[in-house]
Parts: sequence; structure tokens; C-alpha cells
Amino acid sequence: MKEGFRQAMAWLHTWVGLVFGWLLFAIFLTGTLAYFNDETTHWMQPEIPSRPLNAEASLTLAQNYLQQHAAGASRWLIDLPDARDPGLTVRWQQSPGKPGERGRFESKTLDAQTGSEVQGRESMGGEFFYRFHFQLQMPYPWGRWLATIAAMVMFVALITGIITHKKIFKDFFTFRPRKGQRSWLDGHNAVGVLVLPFHLMITYSSLVIFMSMVMPASILASYGSDVNKFYDEVFPASNTPERANIAQALAPMAPLLAKASEQWSGGHTARLSVNNPGDANATVVLSRAGDGVVHDFGRAVTFNGVSGQMLGSTPNQPMAMAVGGAFYGLHMGHFAGPVLRWLYFICGLAGTAMIGTGLVIWLGKRQLKHAKSGVMPFELRLVEVLNIASMAGLVTAIAVFFLANRLLPTGLAGRADWEVNAFFIAWGLSVVHALSRPGRKAWIEQLACGALLFTAVPVINALTTPWNLAATLTQGDWTLAGFDLTCFATGVFLAWAAWKMQRAASTVSVKNPRREKARAITLEQGAN
Amino acid sequence: MLLALLLCYAGFTALCLSMPRHHDELLGHKPSASRRQALKIGGWLLLCLSLWAAVTVNGWSFGLVDWFAVLMLSALTLVLLMPYRPRLALALAGLSLLASPVAAWAQC
Repeated sequence: MKEGFRQAMAWLHTWVGLVFGWLLFAIFLTGTLAYFNDETTHWMQPEIPSRPLNAEASLTLAQNYLQQHAAGASRWLIDLPDARDPGLTVRWQQSPGKPGERGRFESKTLDAQTGSEVQGRESMGGEFFYRFHFQLQMPYPWGRWLATIAAMVMFVALITGIITHKKIFKDFFTFRPRKGQRSWLDGHNAVGVLVLPFHLMITYSSLVIFMSMVMPASILASYGSDVNKFYDEVFPASNTPERANIAQALAPMAPLLAKASEQWSGGHTARLSVNNPGDANATVVLSRAGDGVVHDFGRAVTFNGVSGQMLGSTPNQPMAMAVGGAFYGLHMGHFAGPVLRWLYFICGLAGTAMIGTGLVIWLGKRQLKHAKSGVMPFELRLVEVLNIASMAGLVTAIAVFFLANRLLPTGLAGRADWEVNAFFIAWGLSVVHALSRPGRKAWIEQLACGALLFTAVPVINALTTPWNLAATLTQGDWTLAGFDLTCFATGVFLAWAAWKMQRAASTVSVKNPRREKARAITLEQGAN
Repeated sequence: MLLALLLCYAGFTALCLSMPRHHDELLGHKPSASRRQALKIGGWLLLCLSLWAAVTVNGWSFGLVDWFAVLMLSALTLVLLMPYRPRLALALAGLSLLASPVAAWAQC
């Protein structure tokens, strides 16, 4: 009975893992990159300079700028720079022409120290990976649905994986390289079990984040078709006061930062929104930066814009929301400093490697049966092609995305879209390439191509922009330097993986085909 | 976080050595029953201590996240190091034990 159960779980693990494996690999890899979302954006828009942080000074500059350029606007939004995102972003909404219409938004990025406008090259930056991670470049709501289903499948795969794994504790520290299929399984188990807390947290929290998609029943039962009412009650909008139509100057906002910080026992302000600036009924809402493990949905303090008097602050969130906030906060890791952020990144890579090794094991097991005849049935060939394109191809496409950012002319219309197009064209080409070449050769060539492109990133960066590695290192801009160095390291890793595969291929031709799997574990880690 | 990392790594190495197969791999002979017991208790104690180290520095919410992060990192490092550089894996554990009082002192 017990064995039957375990076998059923193993079956489930095998098949849901295969069908969703490619998608999950992409979701995990882009999600891992999204931990360095702001850093990637900084690299992709290096024109926006990174300055020593001074929230008060930056806010004063933003206020001066908006008073000059957007005095008649109905609303201002100011995003203050932080350690990761150097830009001081100001946006303003024009007063709508007719009542009931929404005014147009204008956005400018300012130098956080001088207050002058800076024009970063048009690019989605790290936001692309973040968006792709849960929207999969599909129209709303299909991408989110698919990502939610993938999350559910991931959870099923984790649980069934734990049940299937017979010797979790006995094999806890076991990893035996150079033993063929055995090594792959060891690797899969090791990254799965050792990083299990992360896997469970990330998967479960993604379900919590998409709660309303996974389990809409409770909302539908209480609110019927009027789902928006639920959100209005959960997230009460700050009611914007009517304009008094009496012109009155806005008080300097910089002192409000300290007052808000007092309310939050030391928390920082991330964003200010000013309603009716220049009017007697101006209000300033300061929203808190997500600097706690428990994410606070919409924690804000409101001040009177003219007198600077505090009008109100959102109450502590109720327990249920705090639990949701804890999962949200843990998943996003906004609170993480540089060291913890790298650990998040490593855990994400481990998760990606777990999925990748799983896919390789599936194919490896079945390929053995056909090794002698040399002819692969269609379904195995299909899995092989998808494995190559979804792993090596995706990694290569990411390098192409970075290179496109440096190589596309800055004046190109729809530049940000072309970067994304370059990514998908490269990914599409990798499918064509994988189809047209025998499996092992395709692996080696795509890995080598990825290696070449990734090592080219710092070189092309140095050739096309003044922010080369030597300059960023001497200036101490560790984000830009770190990005270049990480790209280079990735390139070296991919080259190593390609080389290992090449060497394994040459031994395969003289020895028995079982050997070929032995080297490939390194590839998996390399592919990440 | 450093102290927690050092203690975690040393703790995991001790737990790993408490298993006859790994003890044999790393040190060349099977451990005696009493030695196994000692390593096991020592390993768990070190892990508990690392939790304490992480929580005292950063409070419960950040401390727990930090602790889980170093827990996973140290186990991963140990397991990946063992088959390739077994002596380095052991040396690192010794080093972590030696360095942990210094780290503790720096932390206080």
C-alpha cells in the first residue's frame, strides 16, 4: 500500500515536472534575475547617475522642479532614490479637461544631486524580467493565470518530490559526481533538499500573492459579482479632497520626511504623492519603503500640504493581512541588503538548477533505452529540443537582451520594445537551432554561444559607453561594476560547461554511452 | 550574519561526520558509537547556537530570514565541496570553529 502510494507520487512528480518544467525553468530564472531588478535597470540606464543619498535634499530639488514645470497639475508623484535605484523620478498628472476624465501623466527623471533632468536610454531594464516572471509576456490575465497554475504545479512537484525521496536524511549530504545518471539524481536531490526552505517559501508565497486567482470562491461568495468592492474595502483609497480653488503655496515638504519617520519608528519614505499642489486644500501622502520582512500594503501618512499638519496615518494592518504581507515580503525580498540579496539570488539559482536537473534526468533515463539503436523516438527528440532551447537558449537570449541595450541606437523609435524583441528573436532562433542540430552538438554550440555573448557584455559596454569596468571600479559604483563582473563570470561558467560537454562527447564516442551523462551535471550549474 | 554562517557550517560538518559513510570518506575510517553521538550532539548544538547568533544581531524577523539563508548556503557549500575538495571542506569547518569566537567578539 505504502509503496503503491509512493509510486503514484513518483509518477505525478515525473509528469507534472516534465510538462511544466520548461515554463518553471524560465519563471525561476527570470524571477532570480528580478532580485537584482533595480541593479539591472541601473546598468541598462547608466545615464542616470548614482549619488550619495540625501532624501531631504532630493525632495527639495523635486519640489522646486515640479513647482517650475508642473504648477498647474492636479497631482504630483515623487519617487525618492534609494541605495538600489539612483533615479529621482517625478511624475505629474495634468488636470483633466473634463470632470470625470483621467488626466495625462508626465514623467521625468532627475539627477538626485543637481536636480537637472537626465534622459536615460529608453529601456525596460530589470523590470522586463520581473514582469516576465509572472506575466510571461502574455496579455492580461492569461499570463498571470498560467504563472499561477505553474506555481500550483511547482507546489505539487515539491510535495510529491519529498514523498518520493526515500532517503532524505540518509542522503542529506550525498553528492557523487562522475557517476552518470546517479550524479544527476544526486544533484537534483541535493539542490532540492538543501534549499528546500526557500523552495517551499517561494512557491507557497507565490500562491498567496495570487490568492484571488487561486481561490476566488471566498471573495465571490461574499461579494458576488462586485469583486471591486472587496478590493475597495481591503485597500481603502486615500480620498482626495476637492480643490478649494484658493491659491496657496505648498509648504516645503522636506521636513515631513522626519515626521513620517517618527510615525514609523524609523522607517523611510519611498514615495510622496501631492494632491492639489498650490491649492489651499493640498495634501501630501508619504508612503513607506518596504524595509521590513512583513510587507505593509499601503502604509502611509497624510499631511496638510500648506500647514504641514498631520492629517492621519493608516492603522496597523490586521493580522490576516500581516500574514499575507509576510509571505509577500519574503517572496519579493525588498528588505534584503546586498549580502542577503546575493543569498536570495543563489537560492533562486539553486531552484533553477533543481528544475533543470529534473528535466535532464527525465530525458536521460529514457534515452538510455534507445542508446544502442541510435534512433530517438519523436517524443524524446521533442523533449530534447525543448530542454536545449528552454535552458541554453534562454540563457543566451538573456545575454542578447543585455547586448541589445548597448548596441541599439539610442534614438531608435520603440527602443525598449526592440530590446524585448531581440530577446524573443534570440530565444526563437535557439529553438530553430536545437531542431536543426543533433542534441549534444546543439547543447555545446548554444552554451558556447551564450559564453561568448556574456563575456562580450562588459567588452561591448566598455566600447559603447564611458561606464567601463575600470571607470566604475575606480568610482566605486559597485552596481555597474558588479553587473559587468557577474556577466563575465557567467560567460566563463558557460564556456566551462560547453568545454565539459565537448570533452564528455569525445569520450562518449569511444566509451559506452552511459558516460555521457556524467559530465553533464556541471552543465546544469553552468547554465545558470 | 558571519557568526551564524560559521556556526552553521561547522554544525553541518559535524552532523555530516556523525554519519559513518561520510566519516569514512573524509577521515578514512568509521567512527565509534560514542564519537558519532558526540558529533551529532555537537552539530545540533552548533546549529541552535547559530540561530541564536542570527536572532540576537537582527531581531526575530530579519534574524530568522538570515538564519535560513546561511543554513542553506552552508549546507550547499559543504555538499558541493565534499566530493571535489574533501580536505578543504574539513579545513573550512575547523577554521569556522576557530574564527567563530573572534566573530562573536566582533559582534558583541
